[in-house]
Amino acid sequence: MTTTVPRSCPECEGRLRADDCETICTQCGLVVDEHAIDPGPEWRSFDDDDANPERTGAPLTRSRHDKGLSTEIGHSNRLTGRKRRRVARMRRQHKRTQIRSKAERNRVYAFTEIRRLISRLDLPEHVREQSCALFESAQKENLLQGRSIEGFAAAVVYATCRTASVSRTVTEITDAAKSTRAELDAAYDAMNRELGLPTGPIDPREFLARFASKLDLPQEIEQRAREFATALRERGEDTGRNPGGVAAACLYTAAKHGGHDLTQREAADVADVTPVTLRNTYKRLERHASG
Amino acid sequence: MNIEDKRNISREYFSRERLAEHHFRSFNAFLDRGMQEVVDEKATIETDIGDKEGEEPVYVELGDVRIVTPRVREADGSEELLYPQEARLRNITYSAPVFMEMAVIKGGDEEEEVVVDQTETKIGRMPIMVGSNKCNIADFTREELIDIGEDPADPGGYFIVNGSERVLMTSEDLAPNKILAETDTKYGDTIEVAKTFSQRRGYRALVLCERTRDGLLEVSFPSVSGSVNFVTLVRALGLESDEEIVHRVSDDPEIVKFMLENLEAADVQTTEEAIESLGKRVASGQGKNYQLKRANYVIDRYLLPHLHEEGVDEEDVRINKAYYLCRMAEACFELALGRREPDDKDHYANKRLKVSGDLMRDLFRTALNKLARDVKYQLERANMRNRQLSVSTVVRSDVLTERLEHPIATGNWVGGRSGVSQLVDRTDYMGVLSHLRRLRSPLSRSQPHFEARDLHATQWGRICPSETPEGPNCGLVKNFAQAMELSQNVEDEQELKQELAQMGVEGIPGIESVEQPADD
Repeated sequence: MTTTVPRSCPECEGRLRADDCETICTQCGLVVDEHAIDPGPEWRSFDDDDANPERTGAPLTRSRHDKGLSTEIGHSNRLTGRKRRRVARMRRQHKRTQIRSKAERNRVYAFTEIRRLISRLDLPEHVREQSCALFESAQKENLLQGRSIEGFAAAVVYATCRTASVSRTVTEITDAAKSTRAELDAAYDAMNRELGLPTGPIDPREFLARFASKLDLPQEIEQRAREFATALRERGEDTGRNPGGVAAACLYTAAKHGGHDLTQREAADVADVTPVTLRNTYKRLERHASG
Repeated sequence: MNIEDKRNISREYFSRERLAEHHFRSFNAFLDRGMQEVVDEKATIETDIGDKEGEEPVYVELGDVRIVTPRVREADGSEELLYPQEARLRNITYSAPVFMEMAVIKGGDEEEEVVVDQTETKIGRMPIMVGSNKCNIADFTREELIDIGEDPADPGGYFIVNGSERVLMTSEDLAPNKILAETDTKYGDTIEVAKTFSQRRGYRALVLCERTRDGLLEVSFPSVSGSVNFVTLVRALGLESDEEIVHRVSDDPEIVKFMLENLEAADVQTTEEAIESLGKRVASGQGKNYQLKRANYVIDRYLLPHLHEEGVDEEDVRINKAYYLCRMAEACFELALGRREPDDKDHYANKRLKVSGDLMRDLFRTALNKLARDVKYQLERANMRNRQLSVSTVVRSDVLTERLEHPIATGNWVGGRSGVSQLVDRTDYMGVLSHLRRLRSPLSRSQPHFEARDLHATQWGRICPSETPEGPNCGLVKNFAQAMELSQNVEDEQELKQELAQMGVEGIPGIESVEQPADD
């Protein structure tokens, strides 16, 4: 189910936005793709028919262990007695055949956990799709042996968030996940080693919007913090630092300059870093602002 | 009153808030108490943990639900208030997060019950009606509305799902919990039937009491195939002696004669015998103990469920059920003797309207059940894998969200009804107003149903006599009359009963609590 549309703008590397009919670059406005095929169900319309007018099922998806291609035996209230019981037995047997191997059962379990994580963290649907695809490749490479499925489910979500530029901190993931920090680390390390995840250092700016809304900061302060973060990046001063800490420090500095009441402790807490980590970047920012 | 005054009154009457008033009142009542009532009905989620040897049982206790106003979560994780216009433009759903108190409780068998984890957690998102109490634009002034791009003249009363405006069609159903007597034909003979749609907590059961051609009464209700002898059933419910049964049905000499025929033909004399004979019907070929258990279960669960009440013990409920069946029998006999006319199904006293709040309640109930099943599964799974049991890791909020949004988006409601939600008709302003005040009969439009399509005298002042579509839907789709007022369900039935008693309504003699089994 891969589309031929690239993930970033071929001209300027900008972020792409897809709506119903076009995929456009949010930076330069280049129309990357148009007249996309609607993968949704085809339907006919009858004037006076109570039957379902859809002729096909939902599109293929990688977020189901069978790609969403399974058939189900439905319920009907027209059947009675012996026939009804027979259909019920068939339904049960049919459900049992849907999972054929231990690996497939693990996949079902991991996919439900991924789905739960995605909904818990309010992540977009495409992240779920990619997470499931990543889990499948990890399973294909035999990475699961000796490591926990829950850990992998958390790790694939974490990795996908990073590659999709909607990073979450590890703590945010483990708070929502069934796995522990150690399990996530083990799974992530294994995938990073064997699959070569395309993750670079996290841009602190990805955290700004979320932290700002958690701290109830107004738009201008978030904007100001973004400028700080951009300046740090241009000077290369954010390398080797905890990106969450850098984001919190930028927000703290911006709030201080904007006369907004915010303590170092509060700002550090949303990023789950110590105030000391925050202070390091803060001092650096202040030095630049004054000097 | 002079014409000028009349004009002023009607102008006031049709101010902006009044046009979709019935939708607001119904949906607000659902938000304020309906949701909590549905959760309280459910109360706990039981699990199969603890079935094994040496394992303590685990269950989840459901507490208070809380709903905030609509907000949107962006991909970067920030959350902000959502306004209807933004939802329309961005093709997203105008919905608000719902939170619920949940507690995982372990123990009870040998060890003491301990609360393993207790938190308020987000269980999903509920689509919010534009203009309702939980809507972000609820108390905005005209200027504020214009500022955020909203039409100040818009009546509201609809939902926004995936950017499209959907209105829930009011449906016109036959009144539940009411005895309707009518004639029917069976094997070429005319027979008299008393019907009741007994409804409680979303469970609907049709109970029929028939007078067959040989004058014998038979009752049929769900979970029993065919029908049960009236006297047997009444005796099983605890109304034992001949005299009492006859007396409860009627004192009319002719009806007494009919009843005596029935009693003569009865093949059981005591309550025990009656339950045994019922057991043979509901679980034939099973062990005796199981038959009795099953018979008792069926009586308490499937027969006239609307007579159950909080705080009334089973014994009293059973006797009330017996009295209710006697009322149905009386209706049959009276119809047979020509003492009464068959009830008119098209009479507006025998109709109830299901407005958006009632529909959302049905939806929320099934969605919550689905969520509960998922929580049960997740808990059992987590327990099997020796994980720490915690509230936040077993709740999948997308389960509830999906179950609430999908029916509104497609119109395929729970219980197999389709076309319940419709795209708001924005052809012109009048189109919107008319659409919000439209109601639909659930009868099939492909059948004639001439009586149901006719204008009924009792629609006066309630339903517009002229606005109905031409063609197959003629007379089945109706519109509210201009000054129609829709009354609502009472909040507290106990209070209502006390009030009625004070006004001089008498209960059935012989029952201590003021119970009036007839009507609802």
